Amino acid sequence: MPLNRDVLWYKDAIIYQVHVRTFHDSNGDGIGDFRGLEEKLDYIQELGVSAIWLMPFFPSPLRDDGYDIADYSAVHSSYGTLEDFRKFLGSAHDRGIRVIIEMVLNHTSDQHPWFQESRSSLNNPRRDWYVWSDTDTRYKGTRIIFLDTETSNWAWDPISKSFYWHRFFSHQPDLNYDNPAVREQMWNVMKFWLEMGVDAFRLDAVPYLVEREGTNCENLPETHAVLKELRRKLDEEFPGRMLLAEANQWPADLRPYFGDGDEFHMAFHFPLMPRMFMGLKLEDRKPITEILQQTPEIPPSCQWCLFLRNHDELTLEMVTDAERDYMYDTYAESKTMRLNLGIRRRLAPLLDNDRRRIEVMNGMLMSLPGTPIVYYGDEIGMGDNINLGDRNGVRTPMQWDGGTNGGFSTAVPERLCAPLIQDPVYGYPAVNVLRQNASEHSLLNWMRSIIAVRSSTAVFGRGSIEFLYPANHRILAYVRRLGDEAVLVINNLSSTAQAVELDLRRYKGNILIEMSGKNMFPRVGDQPYLLTMGPYQFYWFRLRRI
Amino acid sequence: MKLADESFLTDDFLRQLINVGEVDILVGLPTHNNAKTVGPIIHTIRSGILRGFPRARAVIVNADGGSRDGTPELVTGISIDDLRPASNLRALRTLHSISTRYASSPASGVALRTILAAAELLRAKACVVLSPESANIEPEWLSKLLHPIYDDGFDLVTPTYRRHRFEGLLITNLLYPMTRALYGLRIREAYSPEFGFSGRLGSQFLGQNIWSDGTHGAGVELRFTLAALAGRYLVCQSFLGEKERIERSAADLVPAVRQIVGTLFSALESGFPVWSAVAGSQTPPTNGAEHGVLLEPLRVNRKRLRDMFSTGVAELETVFQSILSPSTLVELQRIARLGEEEFHYPAELWVRTVYEFAASYQKSVISRDHIIQALAPLFRGRAFTFLMENRNASGDEVENNIEALCLEFERLKPYLLQLWKSRE
Repeated sequence: MPLNRDVLWYKDAIIYQVHVRTFHDSNGDGIGDFRGLEEKLDYIQELGVSAIWLMPFFPSPLRDDGYDIADYSAVHSSYGTLEDFRKFLGSAHDRGIRVIIEMVLNHTSDQHPWFQESRSSLNNPRRDWYVWSDTDTRYKGTRIIFLDTETSNWAWDPISKSFYWHRFFSHQPDLNYDNPAVREQMWNVMKFWLEMGVDAFRLDAVPYLVEREGTNCENLPETHAVLKELRRKLDEEFPGRMLLAEANQWPADLRPYFGDGDEFHMAFHFPLMPRMFMGLKLEDRKPITEILQQTPEIPPSCQWCLFLRNHDELTLEMVTDAERDYMYDTYAESKTMRLNLGIRRRLAPLLDNDRRRIEVMNGMLMSLPGTPIVYYGDEIGMGDNINLGDRNGVRTPMQWDGGTNGGFSTAVPERLCAPLIQDPVYGYPAVNVLRQNASEHSLLNWMRSIIAVRSSTAVFGRGSIEFLYPANHRILAYVRRLGDEAVLVINNLSSTAQAVELDLRRYKGNILIEMSGKNMFPRVGDQPYLLTMGPYQFYWFRLRRI
Repeated sequence: MKLADESFLTDDFLRQLINVGEVDILVGLPTHNNAKTVGPIIHTIRSGILRGFPRARAVIVNADGGSRDGTPELVTGISIDDLRPASNLRALRTLHSISTRYASSPASGVALRTILAAAELLRAKACVVLSPESANIEPEWLSKLLHPIYDDGFDLVTPTYRRHRFEGLLITNLLYPMTRALYGLRIREAYSPEFGFSGRLGSQFLGQNIWSDGTHGAGVELRFTLAALAGRYLVCQSFLGEKERIERSAADLVPAVRQIVGTLFSALESGFPVWSAVAGSQTPPTNGAEHGVLLEPLRVNRKRLRDMFSTGVAELETVFQSILSPSTLVELQRIARLGEEEFHYPAELWVRTVYEFAASYQKSVISRDHIIQALAPLFRGRAFTFLMENRNASGDEVENNIEALCLEFERLKPYLLQLWKSRE
C-alpha cells in the first residue's frame, strides 16, 4: 500500500505510539528492537492506523527512558542498528504507514559528547552550547517541572565549577539556542533523519528552548523564532513532512505554536485530555465543552493531536486546583499512582476496566476535532504496574500472547527490560493480542472497527465542529461537517440510560444512518429529535439527505 | 389499581427533570411574586452549593405559584452550564436551576409536593427547602441544613434561630412544648419554611394520602416534621442565626392557629401509636446553638389581647361547654373577669385547655374548624400572661419560663392520654 501523498496527510492520520524497547524483542536479549517492531508491522497495519510515533531510540544512558539523548544520529545498540531502522522504515512505508520519531531539542543527556566538551573547559568551543552561570539565581521566575525530584532548575557542575540550566532532570542540561551553532547543528540532526525518509518529528519540550531574565522562560518569542526557522527549512527541503509540538500549555498559549501555519503542523491538546476523564467521572459534558470553547481557531493547515493516554503521567498541569483534587481523588486514590502533577496509569485501569467507558472515551478520541493517538497496549486494555518507579509502570512490555513473557521476548524473565504485567485481571495470560484476535467481540477487534469507521471519512480529521448543547448535560453531542458531508456524534457520559432531545431542525429532512451498523434511523423533522442512549453509549450518524 | 392518572407535574417540568437526571443535592424554592427579593437569595443558594458541595450533582427546583413578575425567569437564569459559565464562581459541573408553575393558586402544600416529587424522580440524596422571604440567608445555611443528611445519615434537619423573645408566641407556647411532649424530641422549630430532609423521608411523605384534602396543604411543612417524628426518622437541628423575614403586614391569628394547631391536632390520630408510648423528652443532636433570644423593646397591644380573651370566653361559652371540662371552663371564666394587673393564665390551666381541645378535636364534638378557631381567643389570654411574665426578663429567664411550660406539657401528658382513652 503506497503512502498517501497528500501534504495534509497528518490531518487524516491515526497515530499509534510505540516504544521500541517494550514492543517486541526479536533476538531474545529481553529488550525490544527494530527487527521485532518490523515483525509486528502487520499487526499495526491490521489495527488500521496510518502512522507510528516512536519514542526515543537513540543512544542514551536511559535515565529518562531515552529522553536523555547521548547521540542524535544513531540507534541505541539495544534496539539494533541504523540499518535495522532503515529497513523498518521502508517496511512501514510499504504498508502505507508513516513514521514519526522523537526529537528532543531542548536538552541532551549529560553524557552527550557536546556536554562533555562544554563542561571540560571554559574555553572549549562548545562551552556556549549549554546555558552556564556562576550563580543559581538567574531566571527566578521559572517553575520547576519535575517537582518530585528536582528542587532547582540549576545544577552545580563540579568539573567546570559553575551552574548549568536544566528544565527537566539535572542529568539533562538544556542546549543554548541563543547560539547559532546549536541551531544549525540541531537542524543537521533533523536533516539526517529526514533524508533517511522519516515522515515527521515530535519535538519534545518545545516551550523551553530559550531563556530570558524576568520571564517564566516559557513560550518566549525567541523560542518561536527558532521553531519557525526549523519549519522554514523543513518546508523548503522536505515538503510534506510534519512537525508535532509537545507543549503542555493552555490552548491560548499553545496557539502561537501554529503561527500563521508556519510553525508547527500539529500540537497536542493537553488540557482536553484530563477534562475528558473529568467529564466521564462527573457524568457532565461541561469540562469538555468548556475547554473546547476556549480552544482558539488554528490555521487551516494545522491540526490538534488528541490522546487519552501516553508514555507520561496523565498530566494535571492544565487544570485548576479544585479539578486536580477531584481527579486525584477519583482516579488516583492511592498516592503511589501520582507522579509530579499527574497520574501514572494506563487507560483501562483508570476506567476500572469498564469496557463501555473505554469505548466511549475512544469514541470521543476518534470523533473530536484532531488526529487521535492510540498508546500501544491500550487497544487491548493493558494494565499498569504502579510498583515500578517513575513512569515505567505504563511502559511495560506489549502482551502478545499468554505464553512465555507474553510473547514479547524469549529471554529468561530476569533479563527482560521491564517486568510484564502479571496480575489476574490485566496480566498477559488474560489480556493479550492472540486471545483478542480470536474473539470477535474483543476490545482489540472493536478498536479495529472504530478505527476503520473513523478512517472511512475525512470529516473527522478535517471537518468543522458544531456543539448541540442538549438540555441533558450528560450528553455530549456535536455535528462534524466537511463540505456536504455531516456526521452527528452523540456520547452518553453517564453510567445510566439517558433520554435526549436534539435540536436538529437545520438538518430537517435528513435520514440518520448509524455509521457502524449502517442502519437507518427516522428522518429529522421539525420536532426535537428524541433518542435514548444506554449507559456510556455513543452513536455516530451520517446525515444523509435522500 | 389505577394505572392511568393525570399527573400534577407538567410535561415541560418532566422534560426538565429528565434533563437534570439523578442528583445528590436538591434545593427547593417555592415562590410567588418574589422577583424583588429572590435575586440575592438564589445567588446565595448557588454559592452555598458550590462552596459546600462542589463535587455534588445539584439542582435548584423552583415551584412557582403563578408569579407575574418574572420570578421563575430569575431563578432559571442562574443555571451554570457550558453555555452559561458563572462569572465569579468556578463550578466543576453543570448546576441546573429549573422552574415549574403549578396550576392551582399559590399554596405551600402544592409547592412542597412538587419539590418532593422532583426529589423522588431525581433520586436526590439530600434536599433542602428554603424560603424566598428569608432576608438574611447565608451560603452556610446550605451546608448547615444539608451536611447532616448528606454526610451523617440524618433524615430531617430543622433550623433553630435567634428570635425576639416575643416573636412566635404560638410556637413557644403551644407548638414547641406540645410537640416535644408528644414525641419526646425538643424540636424548636417544627414549622419552618427552611428545612433539610433526606430523599427517603421525602418519598415517604410524598406517598402519604394527604394531598387531596382540599386544603392545598396548609401547614404542610409542620405535617412533614410531624411525619418524621411519628416515623421515627433521625432528626437533628442546625442553628441558622437571626431570623429575618421580608417585612409584611402582621398575619391574622386565626389562620395561623388553623394552620399550626389544626395541623398538629390532625396528626395526633395517625401518630398515636408512637406518641402514646413516649415519656419525657431529649434534645436532638444540634449543630450550633440550640436557640437564641433577642431582647430589643417591642410594642405589643397587651390590653387588646386580654380584652379579646375575655370577650371570647363570654361569647363562645356554649362552644367551650362542648370542648372543655367544666372545671377548666369555670377557671377560664374566673380569670376572664380579672383586671389587667391581676390577670394570669397559668401554665397548668393552659396545658389542660390545649389537651382538652385536642381530645375534643379528635372526638369532633363540633365542627373541627370551629374547635380550632375557638382556641384563638384563649391563646390570646395565654399570650398576655407570657408577655407580662417576661416583660422584664433576661434571655435566660425567658428560656427558663418556656422550659417550665414545656415540662408542664410533659407532666400533664397522662391527662391527654386519659382524655384520649375516654374518647375510645
